[in-house]
Parts: sequence; C-alpha cells; structure tokens
Amino acid sequence: MTTGAQPAPPRGLYIHVPFCRSLCPYCDFVVVAGAAAFGPRSRMGGYLSAIEQEIDLRAKLADKTFGSLGSANRQPLETLYLGGGTPSLLPTDRLASLIERIRDRFGLAPDAEVTLEANPGGDERGDLAGVVQAGVTRLSVGVQVMDTTALRSLGRRHTPDDVVATVAAARAAGFASLSMDLLADLPDLPFDAWAASLDAAIALAPDHLSVYALTLSLGPDEAGDDRLATPAGAVAWRERAAAAQDEERGALELEHLNSRLPAAGYDWYEISNWATAGHASRHNTLYWERASVAAVGPGAHAFDGVTRRWNSANLDAWEAALQQGELPPGGESEAESGTAGTAEGLVLALRMARGVERDVVVRDGFSDAITWGESNGLLAPHPTDASRVQLTLRGRLLSNELFSRIV
Amino acid sequence: MSNIPQSRLRNFSIIAHIDHGKSTLADRLLEATNTVEARLMTSQMLDSMDLEREKGITIKARAVRLDYVAKDGLTYGLNLIDTPGHVDFAYEVSRSLQACDGAILVVDASQGIEAQTLANVHLAMKLGLVIIPVLNKIDLPAADPEAVMSELEDSLAIPREEVILASAKSGIGISEILEALVARIPAPSGPLGAPLRALVFDSHYDTYKGVVNYIRIQEGRLKAGDPILMMGSGVTCVPVELGYFRPQHVPVQELVAGEVGYIATGLKSVRDARVGDTVTSQTTPATEPLPGYQVALPLVFAGLYPLSGEDYPALREALEKLHLNDASFTFEAESSAALGFGFRCGFLGLLHMEIVQERLEREFSLQLIASAPSCKYQVMLSGGKGELLINNPAQLPSPNHIDEIREPWVAASVVTPSTYIGTIMELSTDKRGIFDGMEYLDEKRVVMRFQIPLAELIVDYFDQLKSRTQGYASLDYTESEYRVAPLVKLDILVNGEPVDALSTIIHRDRAQGSGRNLASKLKELIPRQMFEVPIQAAIGGTVIARETVKAVRKNVLAKCYGGDITRKKKLLEKQKEGKERMKRVGSVEIPQEAFLAVLRTDAD
Repeated sequence: MTTGAQPAPPRGLYIHVPFCRSLCPYCDFVVVAGAAAFGPRSRMGGYLSAIEQEIDLRAKLADKTFGSLGSANRQPLETLYLGGGTPSLLPTDRLASLIERIRDRFGLAPDAEVTLEANPGGDERGDLAGVVQAGVTRLSVGVQVMDTTALRSLGRRHTPDDVVATVAAARAAGFASLSMDLLADLPDLPFDAWAASLDAAIALAPDHLSVYALTLSLGPDEAGDDRLATPAGAVAWRERAAAAQDEERGALELEHLNSRLPAAGYDWYEISNWATAGHASRHNTLYWERASVAAVGPGAHAFDGVTRRWNSANLDAWEAALQQGELPPGGESEAESGTAGTAEGLVLALRMARGVERDVVVRDGFSDAITWGESNGLLAPHPTDASRVQLTLRGRLLSNELFSRIV
Repeated sequence: MSNIPQSRLRNFSIIAHIDHGKSTLADRLLEATNTVEARLMTSQMLDSMDLEREKGITIKARAVRLDYVAKDGLTYGLNLIDTPGHVDFAYEVSRSLQACDGAILVVDASQGIEAQTLANVHLAMKLGLVIIPVLNKIDLPAADPEAVMSELEDSLAIPREEVILASAKSGIGISEILEALVARIPAPSGPLGAPLRALVFDSHYDTYKGVVNYIRIQEGRLKAGDPILMMGSGVTCVPVELGYFRPQHVPVQELVAGEVGYIATGLKSVRDARVGDTVTSQTTPATEPLPGYQVALPLVFAGLYPLSGEDYPALREALEKLHLNDASFTFEAESSAALGFGFRCGFLGLLHMEIVQERLEREFSLQLIASAPSCKYQVMLSGGKGELLINNPAQLPSPNHIDEIREPWVAASVVTPSTYIGTIMELSTDKRGIFDGMEYLDEKRVVMRFQIPLAELIVDYFDQLKSRTQGYASLDYTESEYRVAPLVKLDILVNGEPVDALSTIIHRDRAQGSGRNLASKLKELIPRQMFEVPIQAAIGGTVIARETVKAVRKNVLAKCYGGDITRKKKLLEKQKEGKERMKRVGSVEIPQEAFLAVLRTDAD
C-alpha cells in the first residue's frame, strides 16, 4: 500500500484507441468519430504508425530507467489493456502486429491478461475469432443497457440483439474471460425496466460485470490537456439528461445490484465491479493498488508509482510529435510522496472489497476519517478478516462523503 | 502656507447621486487643472479603494487641491472635498460639507434629482453653502435639460439661469464650472490671528504617519511642529507632518485659515481624532470647539464569526486594525451556541456592514459568517426591573419577563417617478410604514415621506425598492424615535437545535409567514447531509413551520481507472473545499449563504 519514493517498472500497459463510429453524448473519453474513424479519410493508418513509434520510445525509456527486458528488475508485462474509443475497430492483422510489438519491446508474461474493449454493433465488434488469434484473452463489451429505447436515447448504435450476437460470437471464439459494462441511473428509465435489463445481461452469463452510475460532466471546465472539449450538442443533451436522473432511483438501483448479483454468482470486488471466481480484472486492479502502469495513445494516463503522466488529448499534436520521432506533448502531476500519496492509496484501496488493514490506516493518521466512516455506517469490519475494514453497501453509495475526508 | 492668499482659495464639494457622474467630473477637473498628469490618471481618481470603484460609490471622503489659472489671469487654489455617496454615511457628509463654502450640485440631465441628493442639498443650504447647479450628461439622447431645470426650480428654488450644462464624459462645460467656482463661491473668511480652530472632516490610518486627519482650518494658523489638542477627545500630540493634497500628500510648513489639508498626527487610532472633532493649539487653545461634533452611532448590528474557530484571534486583530481606519463601526466579543466565538458589530447601515465585512474578507483573508442584522431594541422588563437595551435577538428575555418592547423608527423619504407611487405605497405599508405625505417635484416625480420601523428598512426594503421601481426610486432616512410594538423572537431549529444566529425579532403578525418562508429558503440552501435534517421555525416553544432536507443517497464516482484517478482526486478536493466553506452547527453543515437567507425572506 505505501508507495516507495522510487519509480517502478511497468506491470501493465494501457493503449488508448480513440476511434468510434459515432460519438455518444455522455462520453468523456478522448474519441474521434465519423470520417476520422473509417472510410477513405480514416486516420487509423497514421494513428497505428504513431502508436508503434510511441511504444518503441516508451520501451526505450523504460530500458534506460529500469534496465533492459529480461534483467532482474524488468519483468514482462502482466497485463495489456486496449481501451477506447472502440478498439474493436482495429483491423485484426494490425491488432496482432501491435500485440507482437509489445511482446517484443515490453514483454508479455505467458499468463498475461490481454483485454480488448468492443462495441456490440455488427459493424463495430470486429472479427472476434481473429481477435483471440491475435492474443487477446479478455473481451470487455460496452453493453450499457439491455433496453432498445434506452440505448437509442443514449445515442448508442447497437440493440440488445447485437449484444446477444456478440456474446455468442465471443464464446465461440474462445475468450478466457468476458466482461460487460452496464450503466445505472439512466435518464427516463424506470427502475423496473432497468432491473429487467440487468436480468437480461445476467442471462448471457458474462464472467465479469462493471456497473457505473451514469456520471454526466456538466459545466465549462471539463476540457484539459488530457481531455477534449465537450461538443455543444452533447452539453445540451447532458443538461437535459441530468435533469431526468433521479438520486433516489439511482440509489435503489445500486442497492439492487447488491442483492441481485451475488445471487447470480458474482462477487463485488470493487465499488463498480463484480466477477465470478477468478475473473476480476487484473489490469484494473493494478490501478487500484497504485501499481506502475505504462500508457500510450492520445489522452492516455500512466503512473510509475510516484508520478502521474498523461499524453495530450489532441490527436494531431500527439501524432505530429511521434512522426518527428519525439515523445508526444502532455503533462504530469507533482511527485506524490508522503500523506498525499498515502491518502490516494487509501481511497483506492477502500474502493475494493478487501478494504484496508485498520491498524495500518490509523497509524498513517487517518483515524478521524475511519471513525467517522464507522459511526456513520459507511465502514464495517471485513466479514472474513476482522483486522480489516471495508465499505458497507451504504458506504459504497456514499463513498465520496468518506473519501473527501481523506484527501 | 502654500503661496495662495486666502482671497483666492475656494473650498467646495460635489453633491451627486450614484451614477450621476460625480467621479467623472472630479477626474475632468483634475485633468483640466493639470493636477494629475494624464498618463497617471486612472479612471475615478478619488475613489481609491477597490471596493469604491466596484460599487461606484465613495465610502470615505477624499480631498485634492487644484491650482487653477482663471480668466482674470490669477491662480486660485480650489480645494475639492469629496463626500461619501450613501445614506449610511450621512454624518460624514455633513462634516465634509461643513468644511466647504460652496458645492457643485450634479444632476443627471435625463434622470433628475434623487432623494439622497435632495437631502444633501438641503443640508448644504442649511450650512450656508453656495450651490452651483450642473446638469450632467446633456449630450445623451435621453437628456431633458428643460424638465430637470424646472424640477430644480420647483423643488430647490434654484434659478435656471444659474444652471451649467455639461458633459463630464466629453468635457463639455468644464471651463464654465471652473470659472463659476471662482466667481460664485466666496473666499474663506476666517481670521488668521485668532486661536487655531480646524475641523476634522475625514481621517485615515497610515502605517508610517499614524492617524492622518483631513482638516479645514477655520481660524488661526498651524505651524509644523506646534503641539495640538483634539478638543472632542482631549488627546494631544505633536504632528509629524502638515500638508495638502495633490491628491498625494504635499508637505508644507504652515496651514492657515481657509486652507484645506492634512495633519499626520502620529496617533495610533482614529478614535482619538474622529470626524467632526476640532483641532486647536495645545499652547494657546481656543475656548470653544466648532459646532456639530458628535460620535456617529451605529444603527445596524450583526454578529461576525470566523468560519473556522481558529481564526477568532485573527478576526479580533483584523477588527482592531480596521477600526484604526474606520471608527464608525463598533465591535465587542460575543459567543453564539451555533457559531462559537465572534463579535457583535455595530454599523451605520447595511451598506456599511457589507463594506466592513468585505474589507475584513479581502484585506485580511478571513472567511466570515454574518448573523442576521438587527437594530437596537429597548426592552422594558416586567416587575419594574428596568430597561434592557439589546442589539442581538438572542439576548431577548422570555416573554413573561417583558412588559413591552420598543423599536427604533426612522423618517424616510423616497423620490420616485409618479408611476411608482402605488408600488412604493404598497411596499412601505407592507413593511409597517406609515405614510406621512407627498409632494410633487414636477409633473412626473414626487417625494414620498414615510415613518417606518428601522428593522423593516434594514431587512430588504432598499433592495425591494430598487427592484420594484427598476432602480428609479431613491431613498434617504434619518432616525426618529422609539415606539412600542408587539414583537416576538422567531427561532430557527436545525436538526432540533436552535441556531441562535438565525433568530430574528419580528412583528407578531408577520411571524407566521416569515417563519414559513425562512424554513423553505433554508431547505433550498442547506445541502443534503448524511441524515435527514428537519428545519423548524418556532416562536417561544411553538413550532410554526417545518421543512425537511432529505438525506444524501448517492455520492459516488463510479469509474476510477488511469485518467479518472487524477480527476477523482480533483473532485474529492472540491467536495472537501465545499465542506470547509460550510459551518458545522451541531452535526449539520450549513453554507454561508444560509445565514443571509434571513435577509431575503420577503422576496417572492
């Protein structure tokens, strides 16, 4: 939990693939869509050359800092994660050569978890058998909700039938692990319809479920060097949608997950994540444990155990630098040492079901926050290890009330 | 002495309503006499506090000497004494006018005369000042000089032949004004040989020179190094410096009767040398002080509390420092069950309260909470136990110990376009005002007179007046007398605990409605907490209104991967700062704005 002051070699690598067929109005990720994503003016080719360049440059830097691959300090990657955007839009052969390149430059452990995010639409999910061939072990499907009307109002291009087809194709292709992303607190979707959608997703028997309460960024200050400005149309959509969200209904939905998912065999292991035994996301767990994770692609964020670093979200600027053989522009946070780092680690650790060692946290100076959490019903002893505390269900719903007392 | 004989000195002031162009005119006069080089001109030269520029008003008087070569070829020394522009500072205005022999009356050529202006002109006339009427902004399309001249004739008996048409903005009429100052205002006449008598019309505290008094020498002369006596406070000192204003200080060896300038006294607090006091020689003192000295008494009281209890000593220090500069507010330590340790402060009016609070926050980086403003009540205790003076609702004894309560009333006058007569009548009677009469200034504008309880006036009468008349009506008031009224204390309970800082003293007939409004306002302003929070309004032990702030149900940022971690941290820090800006009362976090809600309950 406590971070040493020294940067550590990466245990995982994140690749940001910014292309989507179309933009979803609620999405905050770094995405380019439409003509930039496919067709004659697609920027995919330029992106792929640049991402290969960045992989080479970041690998060289890692060689210099931590020693070359194979040396004692430099173990092969445990996880690789292709997120987006819609990484399933990558041509299968280029995906294969990308993974090959990473195996060559960073190394990939024999049991490495290699995740690809996919959209369920017929023209988005790609050749799943080819994806498995390329070395991907885990597919994360952007389902959002199993309700045609709700999907349409979210601006999604797929239908529940596409999800069914995608899952069938994925199982046939032989992914070791299959995950679904779902949303809660959707504007205008009544609780019963949402619960039925959850049942429909469970019926497809994914190995892993991520369920997020829809968070709509409002206001003008969202753009940054690691983030694109929100298009005006999306701003209007979000304002309307936010007004149609309902704190009470959203809370009921999150509470419902707590009974429905365990009954279906899923254990919660992080605030928004549930999995059957052995299927927790290893890559995401690296983030929550503040492990060192490298990152490439526009807007991608990396952490070396001390400093957070990010690439510019601007595809042009990112690509132009790499064409010149230079690292892309971006930014970095101040080195996190002492209390700030410990506090961040505590917040992240508390998001997870295993919680934290109470004595250690108290010794680190957070006894006020922990006591407050306990007396307000947000924290309770871990059911199988009384020396640890974990978030209660109430604590999971109100976690920021506790976390804002820690940072 | 500054080489200009008494016969060629002119001491004047500018009387104007807010926005009628006083500061711009002052700037033009400074420019036209080359007092301030053009490159050094900042807009509104005399309003040196940021707050003054922002609010478009003059809080403290300022003075400047203009050397003007008139058409007769002689150089005149024109002392411009600026006056505060708000009713809260009526006493300061009267002292500034007392230091003058004439006044320029600036009236906006499209808007006509306003209540505050009217009151100040009457005061100037009473003091025997020569009035030079100026219609400003005559180049604007809406200007109606004929109508405004008729108004001046009808309401102030100012002949239209005397009126100068001007536009301070474009420089029209400036030379006429300068000539009129020379020709119409009499030279000061105080005897040079008499014992020294000088009027303090303003003061400020300077870290290096101590209290700097702004003075007009009425009689006699003052040499650098002569010991002086403040006749009102009895304090003596040897001034460290004498001089006049440019507007920066220009030291001189001597100031004589008729001159306007400053004395750097070296004193540590403006309390020792207040506005209105008379400066005389310690060795050969005058027998009588100049007339009219009084200590301006605060009318409006409120508790000021630091948001964080640790800042209490810092607040004390800040109040002490600010008080060196502004002796017109008072403060004494008090404690509140809800807000902890703080100070009960007295102010000349609501604007004064706002200014003091803002200066404490800006100049001393304090975060403050102000309790609901109150006035001073006389409480006659039952059983012949005498009279109690209270300025804090929390001090009101329980009803069975009270024979009667008396509250202060004021005489208010409102100048308004006649179309708003009905609106203002309704607003004023709604505020328990008693209509006293009305006069037409011209066919379109009237002055309405009311008697009204001060407590009603300080709540939101002025804001309401402004909004209901689109800003056309203006207000002036003076204290009149105490009257008996059926008053009760309205308490607010948050989560079952009374929040004393939200208590108000209110007329019995209005308690019910006010309680309901306040409870529902607070429901909007208090954010959801970890638990359900009832808000109750109560009189005595009886709850008259109840609202509930629901418990927070969901506060979670679901996604937390690579880039989200940085953003989540920002979000958490923002939530933390938000909490830090709130005051914990019991176990409930109440934002600053909630404490101001009391002021706005009558707004629909």
